[in-house]
Amino acid sequence: MSSAPARDRAPLGPASALSLTAPVAMGYVPLGAVFGYLFVQAGGPWWLALLASLIVYAGAAQFMMVPMLAAGLPAGTIALATLVINLRHVFYGLSLLERLPRASPARWYTVFALTDETYSLLTTIAQAAPARQMALIAAINQGWWLLGTAIGALLGARLPSALEGLDFVLAALFAVLAVEQWRRRQDITPFWAAPLAYAFALALAPGHALAIAIFASIAIGALVRGHGAASG
Amino acid sequence: MIDAGYVLGAILAMGLTTLALRALPFFAARWLQRHALVARLGRFLPPAIMCLLLAHSVVGSARSHAAGPWPELAAVILVVLLQWRSANVLLSIFTGTAAYVLMRNAWPG
Repeated sequence: MSSAPARDRAPLGPASALSLTAPVAMGYVPLGAVFGYLFVQAGGPWWLALLASLIVYAGAAQFMMVPMLAAGLPAGTIALATLVINLRHVFYGLSLLERLPRASPARWYTVFALTDETYSLLTTIAQAAPARQMALIAAINQGWWLLGTAIGALLGARLPSALEGLDFVLAALFAVLAVEQWRRRQDITPFWAAPLAYAFALALAPGHALAIAIFASIAIGALVRGHGAASG
Repeated sequence: MIDAGYVLGAILAMGLTTLALRALPFFAARWLQRHALVARLGRFLPPAIMCLLLAHSVVGSARSHAAGPWPELAAVILVVLLQWRSANVLLSIFTGTAAYVLMRNAWPG
């Protein structure tokens, strides 16, 4: 990190970066623990739970992978599901583009670690925050997620059997993210069009309802001009 | 025990997919910003996909036992109300999941 650009003036110390991430830690440690617990309970080795949190590092996708791995689905199918769940991340980077200097390791790590919570945190800190500080905050957040995963994996290996219904944590996470999307809505069309498309798809082809509804949503989104369309 | 090689392959595939999505704007920003269609999808798809994933996971849970979909609907309403009022992600997720686990274990279907 010695090649940091000159405008990296007076970065916050590690202690203040740590306190900035405290609200994220409150979420990442327990949620990471639920992931580690479910992963080990499903029959995965503890070290692979940690590796998933190190390499994949995407909460919803990691929760989703547990039942898919337990069912032995092909890696390509799991990657496709990851693509769908994490599609929103494409639009996060666009708003941070100007603030990350080119070709620095700090930039690339921050891009890799751009989760919902890290994105929210980075968009709220000062505009002038240097790249190294953004990377430090992103790294501390991933540290919280790894810590949670380790705790959960350890518990999962000791406790006899999973409580029935604990996998509802994924539905709860989607519900929370949907409420946050509603709070920031520019157009209400997706909130009724997508569930309607899913209901039709479920009636027509229950086995492929999600895939059909996703393609339908892309088509609707491409065709319908929402109220906020002029602002882009 | 799930086969480690299989899980490793899935983890790498998921990691590459996620990284590609997060890095795309940094390679194709001009292209993405120039097209009104991308801007429109950028507004439309995130909420649409979140609604679809919610519906899909609720339907999946509801079909896994005889008492569905009532525990699922009750728990989702609880999560939505909590998140709307408190904006506290942890509180919403854990209260909703705990309520669901209780319902499923108290009245097994």
